[in-house]
Amino acid sequence: MNLRGISFLLSIAVRHLARRKRQTAVAVSGVAVGVGFFLAVSAMMIGSQNDFVEQLIEAAPHVIISDELRSPSPQPGTRRFGEGAVDLRGYKVRTEVRGVKGWQGIVEAANAVPGALASPSLTGGVTLRLGGHEEALAIVGVDPEVETKISTIEDQLRVGRLRDLETVQGGIIIGEELAARLGVKMGDIVAASTSSSKARSMRIVGLFKKGQAMISSNSGYVLLREAQSLLGRPFIINRIGIHLDDPYAAQEVAARLEQRFGYKAESWQERSSEFLSLLVTRNVIMYSVVSAILLVASFGIYTVVSTSVSDKRRDIAILRSIGFSERDLQLIFVLEGIMLAAIGVIFGWMLGYVLMEILASLSFPIAGEDQSVPLDRSTRQYVIAAASSFIAGSVAAWLPARKAARVDPVDILRGAA
Amino acid sequence: MNPILEAHGLGRTLAGERPVVLVHDVDLTIERGCFTTIVGPSGCGKSSLLYLLGMLDRPTAGSLLFEGRDMSGLSGDVLAQTRLARLGFVFQFHFLLPEFSALENVMIPMRRRGRLAPDEVRARGFALLSEMGLEGKERKTPDKLSGGERQRVAIARALANDPALVLGDEPTGNLDSVSSARVVETLRRLAHEEGRAIVCVTHDLDIAALSDVRVEMLDGRVEKVTDQRAGR
Repeated sequence: MNLRGISFLLSIAVRHLARRKRQTAVAVSGVAVGVGFFLAVSAMMIGSQNDFVEQLIEAAPHVIISDELRSPSPQPGTRRFGEGAVDLRGYKVRTEVRGVKGWQGIVEAANAVPGALASPSLTGGVTLRLGGHEEALAIVGVDPEVETKISTIEDQLRVGRLRDLETVQGGIIIGEELAARLGVKMGDIVAASTSSSKARSMRIVGLFKKGQAMISSNSGYVLLREAQSLLGRPFIINRIGIHLDDPYAAQEVAARLEQRFGYKAESWQERSSEFLSLLVTRNVIMYSVVSAILLVASFGIYTVVSTSVSDKRRDIAILRSIGFSERDLQLIFVLEGIMLAAIGVIFGWMLGYVLMEILASLSFPIAGEDQSVPLDRSTRQYVIAAASSFIAGSVAAWLPARKAARVDPVDILRGAA
Repeated sequence: MNPILEAHGLGRTLAGERPVVLVHDVDLTIERGCFTTIVGPSGCGKSSLLYLLGMLDRPTAGSLLFEGRDMSGLSGDVLAQTRLARLGFVFQFHFLLPEFSALENVMIPMRRRGRLAPDEVRARGFALLSEMGLEGKERKTPDKLSGGERQRVAIARALANDPALVLGDEPTGNLDSVSSARVVETLRRLAHEEGRAIVCVTHDLDIAALSDVRVEMLDGRVEKVTDQRAGR
């Protein structure tokens, strides 16, 4: 059948639908509501998901190499006599100094990966003291110049800059809440001590915004050298953060580095695997709700086409006697369903667009900051909505259309005569 | 003899617990340029025979030759294509599509066939309607036309693809005598002047008397075939 033939059958389908305006309107609005809400809901779901994943990715370096090993290294005896017949137990375990050994080599190897930048750091616990008040703090010693390039820490500062650590002797950056608990402000001096060292004075050169989920309220940033001397571990680092231009290569890069150097290298995916599996569940829920909406919409199409078929049995017989084939008749009614879906999709797109505009204009106060709903407005969602409506519409119309094809013209003609 | 349609031992039985014989062992030849009527009491199988001749229904026995070609065993699509190109039907009730105007109804078979360009289809539609004396009524929908007018639109539609065989199932059954006479005159003209084969089922003996060949049926069998041309 050529294009002219199909457009002729389509014109018959149009006439049928034009005859039953109210039913057509109901079926069309069913599809439109389905498509519209799919667009709005998926824009929100995908938008917030992208936003969330971005936060996961950017919260910390994409790959973190720590001074941990996935399995403890074998003791010297086992190493020496691996195939020995006796299994020695209860021997004195060799104490090893913690820290990433040969970290300069690892940093070099990491930097050699295209698009990668590595930043070594040392973390450890200190106690901040002011007057009679004490607060535990996990300090991170970093090289500010490299660290600003690999993380978004700079954006999370309320006041001050990471670079200020270099210019101020004994500078430290802590969270707003901690500062409030200690009762200190920018430029104030606090005492920091560890179990093994005596207290030294630190000056506050920056404050983190509160409510930053990825930075604990009890962590603070200092210069790497400062941390090494404060913690009494000169020249030692215990963490290497790696930033990648393509965050999705993190797993592969991490696996390679871990295999080569033995230290645990954790990609952001591994670090946040629970979150990521949660997102999968969320998507499954979203798509099943949306399929349910579209399924209901296709019931509407089924009803319209099915009544159309039973109302038009006489016309079907006439067309068959004129010389329309069974396939022609089936196609007419399938086209009715596709048209209902098409009109519904157009209105649904408009509805979805309006709903997204409304959502975009809303903002919610979250943790004191006014935030608007993150929306994903990609055309992909419009295409998915249209495609699934067309499929649902065709299937819903195809079932009653088969009935139209099976109408025996003789039965109808004989009954009417 | 110039046969267009030949039935040999044609039969149609409705299957079931108690099979119903609609048409039994019919041998019949339909000629070109000849107006044939099929008469008989109600339920004698006139219409059933007509549907078999028009390939709307499939025979359960015998064979049917249309323009020399054996039609039994052909696919539904081929039969539909044959109906579209070579056959025209007129029924007792006009059977126009209610959503379409008179002109559009006449254009439907031509548009489905797709042989003519859209403007040719239109021109032929107008010509056929004016031939049927329906000038000026082309835009009217069936419910705005009288019974006789509708039946003439139906005839115009049956002629749309220039069929070789026109089949009528009581085409005047629902018309007053004036309209009826006009329709019969048209059918006779189609046979005699245009050389088409016309087959009409009717219970009106006056119409049967005006036809060239009269086929009398009883209980699904052809009782008698009378060629009435010799006497004229």
